[in-house]
Amino acid sequence: MKKKVFLPLLMAIFVLMFLFSATVTTAPAKDKIVVGMSRPLSGPMAKIGDSAFRPVYETFVAEVNAQGGIFVKEFNKKLPIELKVYDDKSDTGTMTRLTEKLILEDKVDFLWPACGTHNIFAQAPIANKYSYILLTAEGGATSITPMLQSLPYLFISLSFSDWYQIPVWADLLAEKGAKTAYIISMADLFGIEYAGVSSIELPKRGINIVGIKSVPPDIKDLSTILKEAQKTKADALMVLAYPDAVILATKQSMEIGYNPKAFLGGPGVNFGFYHAIFGPATEGVSGFSMANRKTSPAMKELFDKLYKNKPEAANDWWGHPLYWAGYEFWKQAIEKAGTLDQKKIKDVMVAETFNTVLGPTSFKGGLMAKESHTGEIGQWQKGLFETVGGGKWPNTKVTAPFVYPKPKWPVPAPAKK
Amino acid sequence: MDKTTVLSKKPLFLGLLFLLFILFAFLPLYGSVYSVILVTAIFMHIVLTVSWVIFSGPTGYISLASAAFFGVGIYTSAILGKTFPLPIVICFGALTSFCLALFVGALTLRLRGIYFSMFTFGLVLLIQQLLLWYEVNITHTRGRFVIVINNATIYYVMFAILAATILTAYFISRSKYGLALQSIGEDEEASAHTGINVTVLKTIIFAVSALFAGAAGAIMATRWTYIDPFIAFNPLFSFMPVLMAIFGGMGQFYGSIIGAVIFAYLQEMLITRFPYYYMLIFGIILVVVILYLPGGLVGLLQKWRKGDLAEKHANT
Repeated sequence: MKKKVFLPLLMAIFVLMFLFSATVTTAPAKDKIVVGMSRPLSGPMAKIGDSAFRPVYETFVAEVNAQGGIFVKEFNKKLPIELKVYDDKSDTGTMTRLTEKLILEDKVDFLWPACGTHNIFAQAPIANKYSYILLTAEGGATSITPMLQSLPYLFISLSFSDWYQIPVWADLLAEKGAKTAYIISMADLFGIEYAGVSSIELPKRGINIVGIKSVPPDIKDLSTILKEAQKTKADALMVLAYPDAVILATKQSMEIGYNPKAFLGGPGVNFGFYHAIFGPATEGVSGFSMANRKTSPAMKELFDKLYKNKPEAANDWWGHPLYWAGYEFWKQAIEKAGTLDQKKIKDVMVAETFNTVLGPTSFKGGLMAKESHTGEIGQWQKGLFETVGGGKWPNTKVTAPFVYPKPKWPVPAPAKK
Repeated sequence: MDKTTVLSKKPLFLGLLFLLFILFAFLPLYGSVYSVILVTAIFMHIVLTVSWVIFSGPTGYISLASAAFFGVGIYTSAILGKTFPLPIVICFGALTSFCLALFVGALTLRLRGIYFSMFTFGLVLLIQQLLLWYEVNITHTRGRFVIVINNATIYYVMFAILAATILTAYFISRSKYGLALQSIGEDEEASAHTGINVTVLKTIIFAVSALFAGAAGAIMATRWTYIDPFIAFNPLFSFMPVLMAIFGGMGQFYGSIIGAVIFAYLQEMLITRFPYYYMLIFGIILVVVILYLPGGLVGLLQKWRKGDLAEKHANT
């Protein structure tokens, strides 16, 4: 008897769910620009998303809206930005579904990026399929470069290994006479690519790689590998891994008294939280960088704006200026195109150079032109993440010379009796 | 209820079933593209949950290997998708998962309780790390692109997998094997003494349940466009079927279906309408269900039908 009642009930639930899901929302009126995003608001990627692109887009949208919005000639008025953000739970499958929901059901005017390189790979073909511009934030990879031709709506803002960080790092080491390097790389796309580019760029400049160790992303003990690196007496140690592993490597290098002449860790070293954790011990530690307050008055204004009333841990001297510049560029492209038509705006983004916080900024072949970069390598010096290396580009602004060898880790004071 | 009433409800049930079938069969023709995508995702959750319940429901063995079987299907699709036609890829995905489960089941189904759960979860991580090692050291990459297929095709394939999963689960539960599994769940040693070859039966049913998770993985991979070991072997897919089954109620066969549908739909509502509070609200709902509804939603409905709740209210 139970089943006689419950099975029809189950059917009814199905039908109701179905009818509810089939509801189609109406297209938004053009008194605003609706921007849709699938972001990791929960799950393991949330801490990256919340500290990287989120503070930039929140500040950017607030600033644009405070000015009345973006002027779009087609409508002869300024349109404020309205954000529609969904939580993808740090799951790529959910992200792809929500991306299609934003495009197909919500019919957002623009799609802003999901978080992480792997999500660029998954989201870019979808955005391209529906002819939506995808200007990415967190993430970038050498292996995406060959795909860019087939993904004309994809624009990458972040710098990465051979665009143009590792060649600059290799130049810095070579200039100072470093002869050997030891690499610890994370066993994922990021680590593989950075280690691969290092294996090409360092030997080109006469720097011998005396060891490469690939480690799992969630490694909890690096001391054995660090001791092995110590034994090689390599001049430079490169920890090409995410923040948790970089912090672990720093801590354990101090513990075992391993003092390489150069220490590069990234991403991780570029964040304010790295300095907040290690304080003066960060002196001479290098990482990936783009700018700091000394780069230009415009950059100082940006950082003052982004980090006002925020703890030092919120600082990011690599990604934040690039994301900001990317979306300044996007806004100007809309204004220049005078429309919300994706193809027309995309054509403007491909062809034009706009002035952003970086200076003259353009995209070449889908990548933010390296000539637009203001720096590539940073180094902690007296509590500031100085830009110590950049390409020979017009926008490059080195703010301090590269210190080599780096000072030794401070020896902990003996406990008072 | 007299016999006449019971008989008169059968056509009603069959009619509703037919109506439901027609509604879903023609969804891509009249529904929005996104409704097709969303219903595909819900179907996927039902397949994973029901396939989990086929084995774990009656036996009480809490398997956390769903993500491994699902992931194997995903990777099979990524590797073979560019070479073979879709039906062969789906079959390969299903068979690979079946073989894996057969092998693992034969090795481990002598373990019981928490040891079995731990091993099955370890299997997810083991395969994830092995693949990662293989990709890093042998192929020198990490992720793979999966051949993209149109949404309607994915929908129909998932619909077919769902129908096969539900029918299989239904027939197993009604067969002598279903009774044997229940008997194992109640007292494994007594079952063995009654002549049931418990190890063989457990292993085969475990492998059959993996078949559907593998097939679902193989087709879902084509929606995700890009996969890597962390995306494919996401532990979330080990825990979700368990939670969905508990949410719906494991006492009845249809409880897991109701659980999966409502759970998946609820998640969709929360991540899109309350994205900043999703985890908080979802967590509260789960805690409430586990604390106050040990029989899941079906248990609550059954109580309500029996008038238990009304009685309790009357007594207070």
